[in-house]
Amino acid sequence: MADVSTPTPAPGYAPAPGCLDEVFGAGGAPWEHAGTRARSLAHLGAEGLAAAGRRRDAIFMDQGITFEVSGGDGDRAVRDRPFPLDLVPRIIPAAEWETIERGVAQRIRALNAFVDDVYHGHEIVRAGIVPWSLIVSRSHFARPVHGVRPPGGVYCHVGGCDLVRDADGAWLVLEDNVRTPSGISYVLENRVAMARLVPELFSGYRVRPVEHYPQLLLTALRSVAPAGDGDPTVVVWTPGPSNSAYFEHAYLARQMGVELVEASDLVVREQVCYMRTTAGLARVHSVYRRLDDDFIDPLEFRPDTLLGVPGLLRAYRTGTVAIANAIGTGVADDKAIHHYVPEMIRFYLGEEPVLRNVRTHLLADPEQRAECLERLAEIVVKPTGESGGKGVFIGPAADAAALARQRALVERDPGRWIAQDLVRLSTVPTTQADGRLAARHVDLRPFAVMVDADDVQIVPGGLTRVALVEGSLIVNSSRGGGSKDTWVLEDADQPRDVAPEYVPPTLPEVRYGEPWHDQSQQQQ
Amino acid sequence: MNFAIRYLTEYSYDGEVTDNLNALRVRPAASARQRVDEFSVRIDPEARLHRHTDYFGTEVVEFAVTEPHTQLAIDVRARVATTAAPVPPQAEWSALTLADYLEPAGEFLLAQGAPTDPRLDALHATTRARTPLATVLLVAELIPDTFEYRAGVTYVGSTVGDLLDAGAGVCQDFVHLGLALLRRRGIAARYVSGYLFVSHGDEVESVEVATHAWLEALLPSGTPGEEPVWVGVDPTNRGLSGEFHVKIGHGRDYGDVPPTKGVYRGGAEAALEATVGMTRTSGLDPAATARF
Amino acid sequence: MTMLARIAQELFWLGRDLSRAELTARMLDGVFHADLQGRADAISVTLSWEALLLVIGAQPAESSAARASADDGERALEKATTRATRDDVVRLLTVDAASPASIVSCVARGRERARTVRDVISTEMWEAVNTFHLELVRRDLSAAMRTGPYSIYSEVKERCALFWGLTDRTMMRDEARSFLVAGGRIESADMVLRMLRASLPLSTGASVREMLDDGEALALLHAVGGLQAYRRAVRAAPRTASVTRFLLYDRSYPGSVAASVDGLHYALSTADTSPRSAPPVLRLGRMVADLDFRRRATVDDAALGSTLVQVQEELAAVDRDVANRYFAGAAPRAVRSPA
Repeated sequence: MADVSTPTPAPGYAPAPGCLDEVFGAGGAPWEHAGTRARSLAHLGAEGLAAAGRRRDAIFMDQGITFEVSGGDGDRAVRDRPFPLDLVPRIIPAAEWETIERGVAQRIRALNAFVDDVYHGHEIVRAGIVPWSLIVSRSHFARPVHGVRPPGGVYCHVGGCDLVRDADGAWLVLEDNVRTPSGISYVLENRVAMARLVPELFSGYRVRPVEHYPQLLLTALRSVAPAGDGDPTVVVWTPGPSNSAYFEHAYLARQMGVELVEASDLVVREQVCYMRTTAGLARVHSVYRRLDDDFIDPLEFRPDTLLGVPGLLRAYRTGTVAIANAIGTGVADDKAIHHYVPEMIRFYLGEEPVLRNVRTHLLADPEQRAECLERLAEIVVKPTGESGGKGVFIGPAADAAALARQRALVERDPGRWIAQDLVRLSTVPTTQADGRLAARHVDLRPFAVMVDADDVQIVPGGLTRVALVEGSLIVNSSRGGGSKDTWVLEDADQPRDVAPEYVPPTLPEVRYGEPWHDQSQQQQ
Repeated sequence: MNFAIRYLTEYSYDGEVTDNLNALRVRPAASARQRVDEFSVRIDPEARLHRHTDYFGTEVVEFAVTEPHTQLAIDVRARVATTAAPVPPQAEWSALTLADYLEPAGEFLLAQGAPTDPRLDALHATTRARTPLATVLLVAELIPDTFEYRAGVTYVGSTVGDLLDAGAGVCQDFVHLGLALLRRRGIAARYVSGYLFVSHGDEVESVEVATHAWLEALLPSGTPGEEPVWVGVDPTNRGLSGEFHVKIGHGRDYGDVPPTKGVYRGGAEAALEATVGMTRTSGLDPAATARF
Repeated sequence: MTMLARIAQELFWLGRDLSRAELTARMLDGVFHADLQGRADAISVTLSWEALLLVIGAQPAESSAARASADDGERALEKATTRATRDDVVRLLTVDAASPASIVSCVARGRERARTVRDVISTEMWEAVNTFHLELVRRDLSAAMRTGPYSIYSEVKERCALFWGLTDRTMMRDEARSFLVAGGRIESADMVLRMLRASLPLSTGASVREMLDDGEALALLHAVGGLQAYRRAVRAAPRTASVTRFLLYDRSYPGSVAASVDGLHYALSTADTSPRSAPPVLRLGRMVADLDFRRRATVDDAALGSTLVQVQEELAAVDRDVANRYFAGAAPRAVRSPA
């Protein structure tokens, strides 16, 4: 604490060794963009933060913004808990965001091109870049849509990826998600909640808004709807209230002003999709589905399930209904395919990747496998087809028995696993129950909407997930992680549109119940 | 050889059902060895038919009966001409690891659905032979030697594990086991669905309870530069498939080529009756189809 | 007329005061959010603190009634208007008991009126207003303000909803109720019109068609409480013009001007003994028809600005008609300064 004018906002705050702290730099002084923040936090104090935390929990429970937390591997969900929003927002300066935005948009464009290629020309296979045997071995490779091209060639209407920062501050891509990335509702609700709970933290910052997301999504969904007479009908398709993301499904439907449907509400007649309404069947043009391919049409996928809408795939193939994301996009965000994304960017776009991958190793490859098994205690091993942190093995946190178990799993079915170098995630000050601040690891999940094949828009910010346990690198909310409001700052150098000077209209006077006819009113 | 095929499926429901959607994979494939002269599908109650070709090249006929009904009949007729299969090529094991083998082998090498089971390991140990072709023929013998062909012990969704447990099964189970054993040896293999003509001495007609299944193994040509070839093997009938086998299509397993697959709305239970009738004809004799 | 003019007037203004408290809370919440999100100096919709002061009437012109005594409240008003900052305006319009425009003042006035008409309204309604007021008095509002005014706004909205719910459930459907409802509806229509006029630079002659920022129109909807309704009803991108049309014409949204005018028309038709010759009822009948006609007609969006002015002028005329026809016999009555 060299400078007395810089308050020590967090007495006892100790950044984790070997990691970047995004607020406090070396020596404990805040980074330039975080100075105001540090002072606001100091002003608020532990007591203020703790009190705001209590109000937050009450509001979230009242509003039903809750999350299911599982007790451990494979356990049943315990119960609803208020979504754990940390009260210290994360700040991303304009220049850094510019890189992220370009990088994510670039990846989504490349992944979209890859999906199209996988189901059509196989050019990247013929160019010898991605082996066909790898593609067909992915569980999300969707044979029923081979040769089907959705409207505008857009597959990944909604996408995202998980970004982390290494000790040098570089942003790295941990995973891509072009199936049904979830969490955007928390991004929007977090912002609303923050403005209500700790408005004083906003002072001194110009934060870019996020609330236009539902409109952006609706625009994308309408633009891919098959042409018809009048307004296209868009619906959000949820697996139902027992789904852990039901809150988000309902939220998006409400925000877009469209129906939230379940499979039983939809029916396909003569290759056209309808929903059952009180006024009979009503044509549906565009379906934002929040469930896996497997549950879309029992005639085409999983023979063991009757979930889904029979015939929907036929309607989709005929082009009478748009489905977002397109069926089969899962092949592109498979963790083994992730390894090839930088090559895809070069191959399809002729560009250099803006964002680097976290180093990923394919365990199906004998050489890479041998090398990884050698240093199993230093790396992270993940199953390729899973999401939500399921089955993730973290070498440095594993004991001898766990190491042996993981080694056996990999050796039995190497194709099911990939390995990644362990990244020392950056930290951000995070409130503890008593309101004091502590350094906790974070990642970032930005959300992209592909309006058309060339236009990918990224919501400024995204979901910052934070591990709430000291030293933990697991940020998944299903595994006890929390989230932070993520502020992308306006570019101070960017000339802003100048608002015209406010010329107030002449409004009639406001009345307070005094009788009109009485001019000689008495004051009391 | 010429065949007239009639494949009749009749469902009766013990109550009214609606929105009965079905996907049929019943049309004989057109190939160098197989010519389809006639093909028709009739549905009762009447329904509009939609056709498309799936990822594996099989023609799919889809239809929906929307109105309430208690009976559904699917009447498939086809006339096909087949020729005998060429002699399968001989090649060394080493050819299985070459890129021009692995490329077409693709997903047909994946050990999907095969259980980790010591009984399977034991069977696997006995399938080693001098050449890949020898292993293919060995497997075609080994399965019927080890397992009894008996209907009713397994069902449409049975796994290889069920066959191992029961010690008996039907052609579908035999093929699934054959696929698992071949793929473990690095031989790409695929499930084939089709019709089989079974000759009983002088009789020219046969009736099967349902459609038949066998498999095709991908064997290197033995000549460098030539593409590997798919060789049909019927583990139910202990040998290579031939003129009597009429192929509909193939896939990784049964799930990719089910002859019929459907769903309907309503609480009623369905009773199924399916018959396949095949007649040998002498070329294009239209009278022959009328025999059923 | 079968009830006292004075009582009718008190009921009418009870409805107005509570409606005003609720809409003030909604607008403050909306502008507060817009401000935190960096929208205060947006182009097409001016959701600024200045605009809000204008809507709620907390401006020097308004305070002419209280010109005689330049008390602290007024000085604060003037100061706030010259350079309106978030904290000043929020405090002034929320908790400042000295400012007649504040929410606490609205509720205090409403409670005084409810006390006056205690025998006419139901006990439960009286208790709802009384506890509402007492809760605001008892609570440490300054502390609540420090932690963000959201909790106050949400309480105001809930308490107002409770009052109107109890009115529906427990009050006789007589003319007393009609005057209460009429007050609520006229205030609601007036506030929405004021908000639209103050935040849209329509009257400055600019064409609305040039103003296309979605987010700002969204913030406006948020500020008058019609965001979700708009999304369900319109299902098109919230352009400034379509939002204005929605808030002005869409009778299926209870907060729209048209719906409020409908409600007002119905309430006065019921209360009046000879509605066919009653000037306010006749005028309202014309307004209902006119709004419906304008909704159907594909009117040039650029004309929306002048429409807003005309509708508000008509509403002011209705207000005068109401006072003349029903309250003229009432004893002169002062604005009580709440304690």
